[in-house]
Amino acid sequence: MSTVDHLRESPLEFLQGTLEVLILRSLQIAPNHAYGISQFIRQQSEDDFVVDNGSLYPALQRLLQREWITGEWKLSPNGRRARYYKLTALGRKQLVKSQSEWRRFVQAMSRILEPQR
Amino acid sequence: MMREWWAKVRGAVLGRGDLADLRDEIESHFELAREANEARGMSPEQARREAAREIGNKTLLKENAREAWKFPRWESFWQDLRCAVRGFRKSPGFTAAVLLTLALGIGVNTAIFSVVYAVLLRPLPYPASERLVWLGESAGKAIDIAITWLNFEHWRAENHSFEEMAGFHTEDFTLTGRGDAVLTHAGVVTSAFFELTGARPLFGRLFARADEKSGAADIVVLGYDFWNRRLGGDPGVVGTTLDLNGTGYQVVGVLAPSPKFFERPFDFCLPLGPREDRLNRGHHRSMHVLGRLRPGVTLAGARTDLDQIMRRLDLGDPSTEKGHRSYAEYLMETRTGEIRPTLVMLMGAVLLVLVLACANVSNLLLARSTERVRELAIRSAIGAGRARLARQLFTETLLLTFGGGAAGVGLAAVCLRLLQHVAPPDIPRLSEVSLDVPVLAFACVASLISGLIAGMTPVRSANKLDLTTALKEGSAASGRMRHALGNLLVAGEVAATVVLAFAAGLLVRSLAIAQTTYPGFEPSHVLALELQLPPGSYKTDNAVETFYKSLNERLRREPGVEAVGSVNCPPSAGDCSDWWYSVAGRAVRSREDVPLTLQNVADADYFRTMRIPIKAGRDFSSADQAGTLRVTIVNETLARKWWRSPVEAIGRLIKLGGPFNEGPLLQIIGVAGDVSQMGLDTMPEPEIYSPFSLNPSRAMVVMIRTAVDPGSLAHAVRRDLASVDHNIPIQSLKPFSKWLAAPLAKRRFTTFLLGVFATLAFALAGIGIYGVLNYWVKARQREIAVRMALGAQNSRLVAWAGSHMGRLVAAGIVAGLAASWAASRWLSSLVFQVSPRSPSMLLLALAAVVFTASLAAAVPFWRAIHTDVVGNLHDF
Repeated sequence: MSTVDHLRESPLEFLQGTLEVLILRSLQIAPNHAYGISQFIRQQSEDDFVVDNGSLYPALQRLLQREWITGEWKLSPNGRRARYYKLTALGRKQLVKSQSEWRRFVQAMSRILEPQR
Repeated sequence: MMREWWAKVRGAVLGRGDLADLRDEIESHFELAREANEARGMSPEQARREAAREIGNKTLLKENAREAWKFPRWESFWQDLRCAVRGFRKSPGFTAAVLLTLALGIGVNTAIFSVVYAVLLRPLPYPASERLVWLGESAGKAIDIAITWLNFEHWRAENHSFEEMAGFHTEDFTLTGRGDAVLTHAGVVTSAFFELTGARPLFGRLFARADEKSGAADIVVLGYDFWNRRLGGDPGVVGTTLDLNGTGYQVVGVLAPSPKFFERPFDFCLPLGPREDRLNRGHHRSMHVLGRLRPGVTLAGARTDLDQIMRRLDLGDPSTEKGHRSYAEYLMETRTGEIRPTLVMLMGAVLLVLVLACANVSNLLLARSTERVRELAIRSAIGAGRARLARQLFTETLLLTFGGGAAGVGLAAVCLRLLQHVAPPDIPRLSEVSLDVPVLAFACVASLISGLIAGMTPVRSANKLDLTTALKEGSAASGRMRHALGNLLVAGEVAATVVLAFAAGLLVRSLAIAQTTYPGFEPSHVLALELQLPPGSYKTDNAVETFYKSLNERLRREPGVEAVGSVNCPPSAGDCSDWWYSVAGRAVRSREDVPLTLQNVADADYFRTMRIPIKAGRDFSSADQAGTLRVTIVNETLARKWWRSPVEAIGRLIKLGGPFNEGPLLQIIGVAGDVSQMGLDTMPEPEIYSPFSLNPSRAMVVMIRTAVDPGSLAHAVRRDLASVDHNIPIQSLKPFSKWLAAPLAKRRFTTFLLGVFATLAFALAGIGIYGVLNYWVKARQREIAVRMALGAQNSRLVAWAGSHMGRLVAAGIVAGLAASWAASRWLSSLVFQVSPRSPSMLLLALAAVVFTASLAAAVPFWRAIHTDVVGNLHDF
């Protein structure tokens, strides 16, 4: 699978709406700040997704507008002030919805790209 | 996403709280990243660099986040608007010219459209008004004759096409017993009339079918205004009695305010039924019928239906009415048919004015965009896409057109006030004209379309922009393109102006002819007293005759009075009555061929008083009393229709009613000169006069010829009338010249408006030609300088520029002539005694256009021959 190997070398581009779901998912575990969110996504995707701050900040603003997350200033474990984002009830519901949609999307894609082995 | 949009709106209004500490957040982000990098074992310097790289451009990041709160499309539009306003402020002359031109174009269009909408397009104010039909009878050449009661009853009972039918006519009654005797106006209607016209009772009841029966009680339903004004809004009026023409009518109800149906609103309604002698099938009063078609039934279908009933009646009743059929037209047509050609013509004229305005604005925009080629090229070079540039140009144009449109609506409001002041009162529904929603929508659409048309050319030329040349050479680049468009615009403007000038010329000529036409009598120094004797107190012919005789004698004795004579239907009053006739010894083949004549009644002094010449035979005399043969005077048109000269008509016999209807035999004793019976702008029609002594009529107009100012005798006339009978209301008392002027008022009004529009067209076309030529000369300054340096004479230069202009104007004139030829079809109903294709009028229009064009060209030509040769050659 040389294609996959090739793709591993440079980060993947985000599909429309992907970043929002990833942010919601990263906040499902615990509230986090922007840097933490981008680190989480990078680590969990094993460097396949590198979040550009130029996309992360507008995405956070959109999620705030939709009232899926809220933001609040808190001290980090090593004593630095940071803005922590937290899922709202609405956000939690949206995450569940998005997860099942993505699962269907992935299944549909793989059914087409890799038909019954 | 609704919630997101709402949050943005809220953010825009209340302030975007989440953005306030964005800078802190990004700073803390940086610190967190730096610490993490150090924790991973980087040196402090390396950790800082790595974190800075990860964060990127902090300002851009902040802008990106802020972006999420904006409406990108809207804000770029807003940016274009602000930019446009800045640009306009920098060139106030250009902006004012464009705004003024558009305001004129859109203003006159909005004003005229608001009239067209209120008069022609807005539905009539009755329920299901689109299905309301005006019904009458027709027979041979005569259409829209009044309907007999008997026929109406058959139609109402036997038709399959109408939901409802109501008969109606109007009648004047003298009201007594409530203060002074006053003349009142009644609608005499059948029961369904109220439902058809949407009238509802305020108190009491309306009419029922039972009230139409022969022998039913005399009852009356009061109109709201009459009840309110005349009877003081008395709530206990139901049950009281109203004395009309000496008969008591019991009030059974009062109408709520409702839309008016008759041209003159009624004071009250009386039930219409088969009373008196209406049962004869041949008895025509003036009843007409209003019907509401069943949904889906066509006008033709309804006529076929009614005609079948008429045919069946013919078989059962072989009376003189045989061969009568139905007549039907939509009520909307009845109401507006007459004014439609005028309004359509005016609308066409103002649309041409708008086209001219658009052409001029287009020209101005084009000139401006040529000057801005450099600016556009620079924008394009630093990355503005073509679409973005086009959008900006369109935003500018739309801003201009809507600014012009708004000013135009303001102008239209002023114009409407003026229109309603100067318009003749007989244009239906003109008082209802207002700038309401459909009219404003029209103004918006007109602005938008003007913007698109005017803005298209500059945008197109901007799209063809060649970057390199434009940047290098500045404004000269797109000259050729602009020339082609400018030339086209000028030719189009000339064409539109030719059409308007031609149409206005025809109408002005018609008006001039109508105003200077000899009306057939001497109209000045005549005071006209219009009377209608109440039938209650003047029951017999004898009483009527005695009244007018003693009144006229009294008037004759007044100092300053030269002569007094009366007529039933004075000149310019129109068709008071017409009927079939035939000439003894001339066979008429069929009913369709029976000719019609106007009927009138005049006394023995009328022709002398009005100075209407007797062309042959003799005038009426007091000796024309009842004899074996009745006498008549015919007009010259009737006499010449049947005989070679008026003299030959004397002594001949005329049968009124024609061969197929009953009627008296009349002997022609005289032939009177034609008078303009239907108005000054109409051709004379056959007319017969019966002597008053044999046909006394209650309604007469007493003509008083005076040696002094007729108005000064008004008081004496009133006093004389009161001394004969103080219970006679005066219908009107005014100098006869006012009667004569009334039918011309509409023509004068139309001509005035068209004249204004043609003047506008000339001004706009002149400005357009000036603009294009001026640019043409400016763009050729160097060429002209070279020519002059090589020894070209001024005359050669003018000839050169003139041939350029000549070609444009000639092309426009050819197109204008073709369009005028086509437009003359619409004008034919509006002209009087001028051919709608009059070659002399075309020539005159051409001369005017050529003159305007030369005038407009003068300044550019002058500029051309005063070109600064040395300066221009130095610039090489």
